[in-house]
Amino acid sequence: MRKQLITLTVNGDRCEVAVTPDMRLLDLIRDELELKGTKEGCGEGECGACTVIMNGLPVNACLVLAPQAAEADIVTIEGLTTNGTMSLLQRQFLDNGAVQCGFCSPGMIMTAKALLDDNPAPSEDDVRDALSGNLCRCTGYEKIVDAVLVTAALVGQGSAESVPGEGGAA
Amino acid sequence: MSAFTYVGKRLPPVDGEERASGRAQYVTDIKLPGMLHGKILRSPLPHARIASIDTSAAEALPGVKAVATWADTPGVSFGPIPAFEDWTILAKDKVRFVGEEVAAVAAVDEATALRALDLIEVEYEELPAVFDPVEAMKPGAPSINGRERNVVMPFSLERGDVDGALAGADLVLEEDYYTNQVYQAYMETMAGVVRPEKHGGFTMWLPIQIPNKSRLTYGKALGVRPEDIRIIKPFMGGAFGAKMEVDLHLVAAVLARKCGRPVRIVNTRHEDIVAGNPRVPMHIHLKMGFMRDGRFAAKEVRIVAANGGRTVYSPPIMATACYRVDTLYTFENVRAEGYAVDTNTVPTGAFRGFGNSQMTFPLETMIDQAAAQLGLDPVAIRRRNAVPTGYVSIHGWEVGSSGQEQTLDNVARISGLASRRRQAADTGPVRRGVGLAACNHVSGNKAFFPPFDGSSSIVRIAEDGKVIVFHGECDMGQGQTTAFSQIVAEALGARLEDVTVAEVDTQVSPYGLGSFATRGTTIGGMGVKKGADAAKELLLQAAAEHFGADILALDTEQSEVYLKADPSRRVSFGHLARGFIFTHGGLPMVAQGHYVPNTVAPDPKTKYGNVSPAYVFGAHVAEVEVDTETGEVRVTGYWASHDVGRAINPMQLEGQVQGGVAQGIGWALMEDMITREGRIANPTLLDYRVPGSKDVPRVTCDFVEPVDPNGPFGAKGIGEPALNPVPAAVANAIYDAIGIRFTELPITAEKVLAALRAREAAQRGRGGQGFV
Repeated sequence: MRKQLITLTVNGDRCEVAVTPDMRLLDLIRDELELKGTKEGCGEGECGACTVIMNGLPVNACLVLAPQAAEADIVTIEGLTTNGTMSLLQRQFLDNGAVQCGFCSPGMIMTAKALLDDNPAPSEDDVRDALSGNLCRCTGYEKIVDAVLVTAALVGQGSAESVPGEGGAA
Repeated sequence: MSAFTYVGKRLPPVDGEERASGRAQYVTDIKLPGMLHGKILRSPLPHARIASIDTSAAEALPGVKAVATWADTPGVSFGPIPAFEDWTILAKDKVRFVGEEVAAVAAVDEATALRALDLIEVEYEELPAVFDPVEAMKPGAPSINGRERNVVMPFSLERGDVDGALAGADLVLEEDYYTNQVYQAYMETMAGVVRPEKHGGFTMWLPIQIPNKSRLTYGKALGVRPEDIRIIKPFMGGAFGAKMEVDLHLVAAVLARKCGRPVRIVNTRHEDIVAGNPRVPMHIHLKMGFMRDGRFAAKEVRIVAANGGRTVYSPPIMATACYRVDTLYTFENVRAEGYAVDTNTVPTGAFRGFGNSQMTFPLETMIDQAAAQLGLDPVAIRRRNAVPTGYVSIHGWEVGSSGQEQTLDNVARISGLASRRRQAADTGPVRRGVGLAACNHVSGNKAFFPPFDGSSSIVRIAEDGKVIVFHGECDMGQGQTTAFSQIVAEALGARLEDVTVAEVDTQVSPYGLGSFATRGTTIGGMGVKKGADAAKELLLQAAAEHFGADILALDTEQSEVYLKADPSRRVSFGHLARGFIFTHGGLPMVAQGHYVPNTVAPDPKTKYGNVSPAYVFGAHVAEVEVDTETGEVRVTGYWASHDVGRAINPMQLEGQVQGGVAQGIGWALMEDMITREGRIANPTLLDYRVPGSKDVPRVTCDFVEPVDPNGPFGAKGIGEPALNPVPAAVANAIYDAIGIRFTELPITAEKVLAALRAREAAQRGRGGQGFV
C-alpha cells in the first residue's frame, strides 16, 4: 500500500511519519513511534484503553486513521511525565489506589486529564460521565473517581504542584 | 496501636508508577529482533470432521514464514489436568467448538498473516452438535470426546443423614437455578511471545497465572522437558482465573519452532471472547431443609455443568460448587451429585470464585427465602448456622480463624440493613429494596495440584543492602508484588524502598504454584516471609560478628541491625552484606525459606480432607432500585464486610472488594455470553457489556481481623470471596423491592419486566390488584 508522509506533534515533539491509508493512529503511536504506554484493549472503540488527547479532545486511537492525524497535536500518557516525574493526576491515581493491573490506566488517565482541562471542578457525576467510555475490570471505578476528584480539589486549592503536560493546568 | 511498620498500612502499589506512567512492559508491548506475527485459523463450526486442509496458497504468499497444522505439532494429546487430556495444539481431524485452533500462520506483519489465513482451504464435514450439558447427557446425544454420556467427570458425596433430616425439617425448599456463562474481560487479551532456543527449547513471555505449573503441560505438548521451557511473566493486564494454560502459547511455540524465529500472538478481543476460557455455566438443583429456629437441617444439590469442547478446569470447578459452601455454615447433613459434561461450546474454566460463586447464588437466595417464610431475620438465620473459630467441618476442613459472625453484624450495621428493609411497601413505579448474602472461600486449594502445596522464596541481600525477593507466584495485577514487599520489609526489618520483588522468570525463580484459589497473600505471603526470616538470621549472624555480640542481643529496623540494649549502635544491611560478599569471593548473601501448609488433599472416594491453610468469610448488602415500568435494576448502594485474617494493605483490600463487587453486579444484571447453535452472538465489548463507571455504586468496606494462625502476620485471602455473594445479594434485594425471586442469571430488565407482567396477569386473573 502506498505510503504518505505526515507531520504531527506528539508530546511536544514534531514527528514526520510515513503512513499507509489504513494505518490507525494507535499503530502509529505504538509501532512507529514506539510509545507503548497507549494500550489496545479491543480495537473497536469500546474500552477506551487507547485513549489519547488529540487537539485537546480525548479520542480512541484505534478509531482514528493515522492520515487523519496529520498536523494534529497529540498527547499520550508518556507526555504527562516531565523529566521522569509523574503529573499530580498520575500521583493521585497511585495514592488513591486507582491502579491495579494498570492496563486501563493510561487511557483512563488521559480521559481524566481531558476532563480536568475542560472542567477543573467536576462533580462526581461529571467524572463518572467522562469516564464512562473507559472500561476497568479491576477496581470497580470508585478509587479512579476519587483520584480525579482529589486531583481537582488539590489543583483548585492551588497545590504547589500543578499537573504538568500538554495543554492546560490539569 | 499497631506495632507494625508496613503491615496494615494504606500504601500505594510499589510498582504503580510504571503502570501509571505507561512504562510498564506487558507481553503485548514486547518486540524482539526478527519477531514474526502469528495468527490462528479457528473453526467456524461447532462440531465437524476435518476432511482436508490445503495450506499451499498461504505458504506461497510473500511475507509468510510458516504455516502450521496438526502435522507440525508433536501430535500428542495433553491437558491441564492429567486425567482429562483431550487437547491437541491444533485440531487433528475434528473440531469441537467454534473458535477451536485449526491452523496458524507466522508472517512479517499481522496484515500478511491475516491474508494468509484467508488462503488456507479447510474442508469440513459438519457433525450433529449439542450445546447444553443436560441435553448432552441424554441417550443419543452426539459424542464429542468419546466419553460415555459425554460425562467428563461425575462427582458424588454424602455425609450425615440427609433423608432423615429432610423428613424431620419444619420447612423444605426445592428449586432449579441456572448460573450463566460469563467472560472474565480482563483488559489485556491473551497473548504470548515465544522465542525458539537451542536443544528444541523455548523462552516464552506470557501473561500467565501459573508460570511454573504450566510448564509440565507445555513440556508434554511440545515434546520437551519442562526445564527446556523458560517462562518470563512481565506486567500482566488482569486474568481473574482465565490465564492458566492457554493454547495460543503452544501455537506460537509450534510456529517459532517451524520458522526458527520469535513469534508473537495476541488475541483480538473477538477471538478472546469466542475462544477464551469463560465461567462454567451450571444447572443447579438445590433442596434444603430448615428447622423453625433457623437451623439448616440438610442440603442436597445436583449440578450439571458445561465443560465445553475440551477440558480446562470444569471438573474441579463443578466439584467445588458441589461442596465448598458446606463450610460456609455448620452443615451436618449434605448430599451432592454433579457432572461436568462435554458440550460443543467454548471450553470453560476458572473465573473468580471457581464454582463456589456459582453455588453461592442458589444457596444464599434459598436461605433468604427460608428466612422470609419462617419469619426470621436474614442476619439471625445466618448467625444461627455460623462457623466459629476452631470449627472442623463435616469434610474435615479446619477453620483456624473465623470472623463470620462479626462480618454479618458489621455489614448489617454499616448498611443500616434493618431500617432499609421492607421498602417494598413503597407504591411508586420505582421500588427500592435491600438484600443480604454471605460467602466463604479458601486461601489456597490443595485439591488443585495434589503433588504439593506451599510456597518458597529466595531472598538476596545485595552489596548495597538492597533486598531482592525471588518467588514463583504471580502478580496478575491484583497487587501481590506490593503485599509481598510489605511482608518482606516487615519481617526483615528493611525499608520498603530497599525491597524489590523480582518478576517471575522460571530460570531463576523458585518453583511456585502461582495465582489461583485466593492463595497469593496467605500461602505465597508465607513463602516470602519465611525467606525474609531466614535472611534476617543471616544478617544477625553477620552483625553478631561485627559487634562481638550475641545474636539474641540484636534486632533489625530500617535496613539496619542494632543492639537492643543500645539502639544508637547500628550497622547497615549494606555494610554487613559487603563484608560478607567481599570476604567470600563474591558469594551471594542469599537466604531461602519455604512454607508447607497443613493441608490434606481430599480423599478421592470420601472427599474428606483439609484443602486450605485458612478459610475466609464475608457478608454483603446490596441496595437496588427496580423500575417497574422498564424492568431496569440499578444497584444504588453496597456494603461489604470481609474476614481477612489481618489486613496487609487496607487500600488494596478495598480495591479488591470494589472490583469484585463490580464484576458481581455485571454477572447479576448485565453480562451474558449469548450462545446460539454454539456461536457466541455478542463477541464484542459493545454487545457483551461489562459494568462501566456509571453502573456501579460506591462500596463501603469493612474488614474483620481475627488473625489467622497460618497466614503471614495472620493474613488470609480476598480475591474470590469479594465476588462470591454479589449475585445473591442483588437478587435478594430485588426480591425485597418487588417480591419476585429470580433463579437464573443475569437478571436483565427483560426478565424483570416479564416477571412483573406475568404476576400482574395472574393477579388480574384472580381479581387481585396492585403489588403484594
